[in-house]
Amino acid sequence: MAQTIESAGPGGTRPIGQGRPYYGFWRQSWRSFRANRIGMISAAILIFFMFIALIAPLISHFVTHFTATAQDLNNTFASPSHQHLLGSDELGRDTLTRLVYGARASLGIGFLTVAIALTIGVSVGLVASYFGGIVDDLLMRLVDVVLATPAIFLYILMAILFRPSPIAFPFIIASVSWAPLARLVRAEGLTLRSREFMLATQSIGAGHARLILRHLLPNSIPLVIVAASLRLGQVILIEAALDYLGLGVQPPTPTWGNMLSNAEIYFSHSVWLVVLPGIAIFLTVIATNLLGNALRDVFDPWQSKH
Amino acid sequence: MAAALTAELQNRSLTERLLEVRNLRTIFPVEDGEVKAVDGISFHLDAGETLGIVGESGSGKSVTALSIMRLLQSPGRIASGEILFRGRDLTKLPLSEMEGIRGEEIAMIFQDPMTSMNPVYKVGWQVGEPLQLHRNMHRGAAHREAVKMLGRVGIPDPAQRARMYPHEFSGGMRQRAMIAMALTTGPPLLIADEPTTALDVTIQAQILELLREINKTFGTATILITHNLGVVAGMCERVLVMYAGRIVEEGSADEVFMNPRHPYTWSLLQSIPRLNADNDAELKTIAGQPPDLSNLPTGCAFHPRCPFAMEKCVRDDPELTSFGGMHRAACWMTAAGGDMDSATKGRRPS
Repeated sequence: MAQTIESAGPGGTRPIGQGRPYYGFWRQSWRSFRANRIGMISAAILIFFMFIALIAPLISHFVTHFTATAQDLNNTFASPSHQHLLGSDELGRDTLTRLVYGARASLGIGFLTVAIALTIGVSVGLVASYFGGIVDDLLMRLVDVVLATPAIFLYILMAILFRPSPIAFPFIIASVSWAPLARLVRAEGLTLRSREFMLATQSIGAGHARLILRHLLPNSIPLVIVAASLRLGQVILIEAALDYLGLGVQPPTPTWGNMLSNAEIYFSHSVWLVVLPGIAIFLTVIATNLLGNALRDVFDPWQSKH
Repeated sequence: MAAALTAELQNRSLTERLLEVRNLRTIFPVEDGEVKAVDGISFHLDAGETLGIVGESGSGKSVTALSIMRLLQSPGRIASGEILFRGRDLTKLPLSEMEGIRGEEIAMIFQDPMTSMNPVYKVGWQVGEPLQLHRNMHRGAAHREAVKMLGRVGIPDPAQRARMYPHEFSGGMRQRAMIAMALTTGPPLLIADEPTTALDVTIQAQILELLREINKTFGTATILITHNLGVVAGMCERVLVMYAGRIVEEGSADEVFMNPRHPYTWSLLQSIPRLNADNDAELKTIAGQPPDLSNLPTGCAFHPRCPFAMEKCVRDDPELTSFGGMHRAACWMTAAGGDMDSATKGRRPS
């Protein structure tokens, strides 16, 4: 044969007969994601907030010199100044420090919730689509029941029953928000299940567990990533709403939601106390949504071409 | 090693039937009754032998293969019969044991190589997967074996190719990779379900040549399922012709193709375009449609389409009768000594 194979460097293998280097699925997706400006900006915003949340104690120690709960009753409602970079609230607490710790609560709860919801939703969706029949029926009716539950009442009930700590919170929100994910993953699983490679893999002696975990799951990961990033924004909003209603993480632990509800009565003279946590929530949620859309375009280029 | 294996398999074939299917019935329940996809077929296969199963779509050939592998999609099920593989009845094995046989002792390759590989894994990983499953081999070792096997099935630069994804392979190369995957464990039986149907003609020939070589060098008994008579003639020692879930004719390839004894086989052979035929002659086809399997015609299932149908054919279902050697066919007309070629000479002007 007159074909040549050029051995390639770290860029990957060059396919025979073609000049363009080929990259694996993830590398190719990353290249196409990098070209997506909105996706990159959204990712940068999210990474920025995550970074802030991670180094909150350092910021508190080295930048603001206040803890999130330190009161200074001689200096309430301070405007932004050298001492309080973003001002202070009605108890003289430093707003920047509280925002930074609020990022911890919002993002921490958000990520944990999504992780739990994904674990349940993906498992249920894959098992339902793989086995079909009565298993599918039972699991999907369970999803219907969860989706029919008015979530806000469930949250209120849970909040009253368990006085949620920041750790219990993700479980409460995830107990509802796994259901749409399960439906989505099941739909994808049904398509994948009927593909011939599943039969071919069964024919080499793979059992149910291997077929689900090694073959169905990896093929549905792009969908799961997109769904997870879209879900993250919703979860952060739910968490903020519950905090705002006083059902969420309790003061004095700062979250963006309870900062917002705390500040609303002072709106007439201290606008920034409302605006700052509002902007934080807004930016985070819109970044997750835009990131989700960008990821969908990256993983499924056909869908974005109208 | 291959020679020793061949010798061993040849010795075994003297004493042991590899596969014996007895009276297999596979049904698919539907709203008003059931579809008899396979309706009481019996056949056998010796070690190292090549058997072709031919028939048109819906004749039950793929369902037969899936029944042997126990890979029928729900609600399809084996209603009765035995599938004896090396003496064990596969229809009665627990699933865990069946999973041990799939890929280890019976391997299968499928029609469409474009869809039968998992798009997210590299080819080398997939080809080595049976070894991970059945030999507890680690990734690295399985990959090395996969590269060797890819080389053996004629993939150039297998080490490079093994690191590629299925979509970087052409159809023919994917089918070669599927064959490599099937052979890594050295199974005594390979079931190829329409392995060349989705490929273009030159690649078809290469893949068939590869299957022939594998049969010779490894002594792998092969069941080749196809609707292409030419493929069977070039490749198989014995042939089963299926129609409406039954075997209507069986015998050595020579017997069946040189001297067909069932009007269905005869019509199939007549409908192959021939280079030496009259240019103006119309291509012969088989009139009518394959029968509805949930509502079969009375008597012989082929009688509505049969140019030789008699009253008896409408009434009674013919059994397989012997025509000498291994040759058997289920037809009232030929069993009574009728000859299809001379019977049509006067009637058809072509």
